Amino acid sequence: MTRTTLACGVAFAALFAAGGALAQDFTVNLVNEPSSLDPHMQWNPDSYYVYRNVFDNVVTRDDAGEIIPQIATAWEQVSETEMVLTIRDDVTFHDGEPLTPEDVVFSVERITNPDFGSPQLGQFNSITGAEVTGENEVTLTTDGPYPVLLAQLVKLSVVPQHVVEEVGDEAFNAAPVGSGPYVFEEWDRGVAVTLSRNEDYWGEAGPFETAEFLAVPDASTRVANLRAGTADLIVSLDSDLAMQIENAQGVQVLRAPTERVGFMGMNTTRPPLDDPQVRRAAAMAVDREGIVAGILAGGEQQVGQMATPAHFGYVEGVEPIPYDPEAAAEIVEETGAGDTPMQFATSPVFDQRIVQAIQQMLSEAGFDVEISMTDMSTYLQKARAPEQTERPYFSFGRWSCACQDVDGVQFPLLHSSSSWSRVNDPELDALLETGRSSLDDEERLAAYTEVQSIVQDNAYILPLYQAVAIYGAAGELEWTPTANESLFLNRMSWSE
Amino acid sequence: MSVFLLQRLGQALVAIFGVMTLVFFIQRLTGDPTYLLVPETATQEDIEAMRRTLGLDQPLLMQYLDYLGDMLRFDLGRSFVQNVAVTEIIASRLPYTLQLAGGALLVALVIGLPVGLALAIWRKHRSTNVLMGFVLGAQSMPTFWSGILMIMVFGVWLGWLPPSGSGSLSHLIMPSIALGLLSMATYARIARSSVLDELSKDYVRSARARGVGTGRLVGKHLLRNSLIPVISISALEISQLLAGAVIVETVFAWPGLGQLTVQSVQSRDFVVVQGIVLLGALVTIGVNLIADILYSVVDPRIRKGDGA
Repeated sequence: MTRTTLACGVAFAALFAAGGALAQDFTVNLVNEPSSLDPHMQWNPDSYYVYRNVFDNVVTRDDAGEIIPQIATAWEQVSETEMVLTIRDDVTFHDGEPLTPEDVVFSVERITNPDFGSPQLGQFNSITGAEVTGENEVTLTTDGPYPVLLAQLVKLSVVPQHVVEEVGDEAFNAAPVGSGPYVFEEWDRGVAVTLSRNEDYWGEAGPFETAEFLAVPDASTRVANLRAGTADLIVSLDSDLAMQIENAQGVQVLRAPTERVGFMGMNTTRPPLDDPQVRRAAAMAVDREGIVAGILAGGEQQVGQMATPAHFGYVEGVEPIPYDPEAAAEIVEETGAGDTPMQFATSPVFDQRIVQAIQQMLSEAGFDVEISMTDMSTYLQKARAPEQTERPYFSFGRWSCACQDVDGVQFPLLHSSSSWSRVNDPELDALLETGRSSLDDEERLAAYTEVQSIVQDNAYILPLYQAVAIYGAAGELEWTPTANESLFLNRMSWSE
Repeated sequence: MSVFLLQRLGQALVAIFGVMTLVFFIQRLTGDPTYLLVPETATQEDIEAMRRTLGLDQPLLMQYLDYLGDMLRFDLGRSFVQNVAVTEIIASRLPYTLQLAGGALLVALVIGLPVGLALAIWRKHRSTNVLMGFVLGAQSMPTFWSGILMIMVFGVWLGWLPPSGSGSLSHLIMPSIALGLLSMATYARIARSSVLDELSKDYVRSARARGVGTGRLVGKHLLRNSLIPVISISALEISQLLAGAVIVETVFAWPGLGQLTVQSVQSRDFVVVQGIVLLGALVTIGVNLIADILYSVVDPRIRKGDGA
């Protein structure tokens, strides 16, 4: 009787102290449940927020964004197309088996196998071979000089060959076995994924005994959960909700500038936008500071190039094309660019406040622009139409290559061979190719500096801002969110 | 009897076939899901490869025939996004939808019936206006607003109930109320009109003349007789509730079929949507089939084919 009463009392106290009591059980609210926990399958935030804690990657980035060792302790480019990785020998998977160089080779071969059908294939298909070439040594071969290889390896999780081969892909996804700081416990489909601390982790162990990732699709509900103490960390907030949290007790807002670049794309192959003057007018008509401070208001920074300081290839000291609506209107008037009706293609996924603001600004300058809203897959089909001239006149996007290298942003958006690009400039193409294939950092930086000045002189695209990821967290959580939008539990802690 | 049954069964199968064909083609009109599945940096070749993996590179007719073949083998296919059998995904969500539907139905009945009864019996009393206002108000409040309001009051400020999620009975209370309030008005209205109907009947007058009090009259006679339309409306409500409560489930993070539907439609996970629609069609058509058969048992005219 007494014991029951006591237990009730404890349970009651625990209920009320939840969240505030620096719980050993950490609860994260995602938007949706992970699409997969197999790190070689789906690649979206709700999935990798979870599986990046279960698996180690070949290399990783520290909180400052520098590439640092993880499974590979060292790497050396031994020839133009070969990189030798030294593999840690003290790592064990959660089932107790050691992680071997063969597992690394297996992981590379698995994700690059076209028959496996990984959606991430495009990030790794420059790798043509992987081989164990010595004790704790793996050699990767690429189809040409590939400077972004290491940045891509930040995302390559190492999976255990013996488990995957034994249970098969499907069972592995349902019950993944990794070597990371957290061990997979349970996936209650549609509800939650539960992880527990890997007590034998070779690196820094996690601060929480267990971590639960819940799917909470509605942002207001996530905020309510945080305020009620049933969630310790919530993702994907906008600035309005962030303000609510800022005014509440015991909770905090955490912001991280990401590697996502907001931009306005223009089809430079379609009249009247084939005239650099007209494109410049369109650029000058858009009040980027107004968008950043007035609409987004989440700590975003205006950028003058298709890059953020988090990228390799970011050019210091670039001034954006100035905002000058009068000059823009004059050019539109002179060139008669306002006579052509143009579409601003978009889909509900994009922030409509920004799309509408830009359309309004362009109209005020004299352009005849109309918003053409379709669902996402139709939008993508239009944006990636086989004929460059059929791609949309205008669009708004937020681009991330998740590789923190401008090659991943500028090549797809500006190189004439890319299915996204609405630019066709052989000189620019050549520079982007240099940037993609040179192994010399100096040479690459020089190429990207030149790219930047060509893009700006010709107003090929209008960079808008560096996006910010906004999280809500319990007041006592200490954590520095990073540009690559990961939730590494073992880099968090409770204050005191 | 058996001819009638076979006929009805045949009709049900045709209806299901029609629904499945429609949902197959309508979805494919909405665009290619491959673009949503690959990262932005994927090249055209990657997209082609993905399309092959999903079988979307086949001509539409071939895809349709494959799909029909799978249906005949009761194979609902695998989710494009999750790469898991659709039956498994739906089976994991169904219990939650059943719980929520049950909870909502209970709320609707427990509040709706007495309110309807009161509205009928005290129809001349002024206070019934207030009741009617409450019923209409509850039905008119959009769930995404009333849901959040409830979460803020009971989940955050008072801390009586968990703000969202699933796992215990207390988690079920708020979503049930939010969803139940919508059906409550229907029940109140049906109960009211059916009680009014009964009130005008002779047996009520004679009971009154015998000196039967209001309480006894209602409990012993009225309630039973007025319940018949309530039961038939319940069949409709249940099939509606089972289809999943999209908004309530989203607001309360309730992991039922409604939430799954939204996610699957958004990500163009055709196979999952087809599975959910099939389930919905089966429930609706099944309930109607049972009703048809029950009617024919009650009323021989239907069975013999002069009526329908």
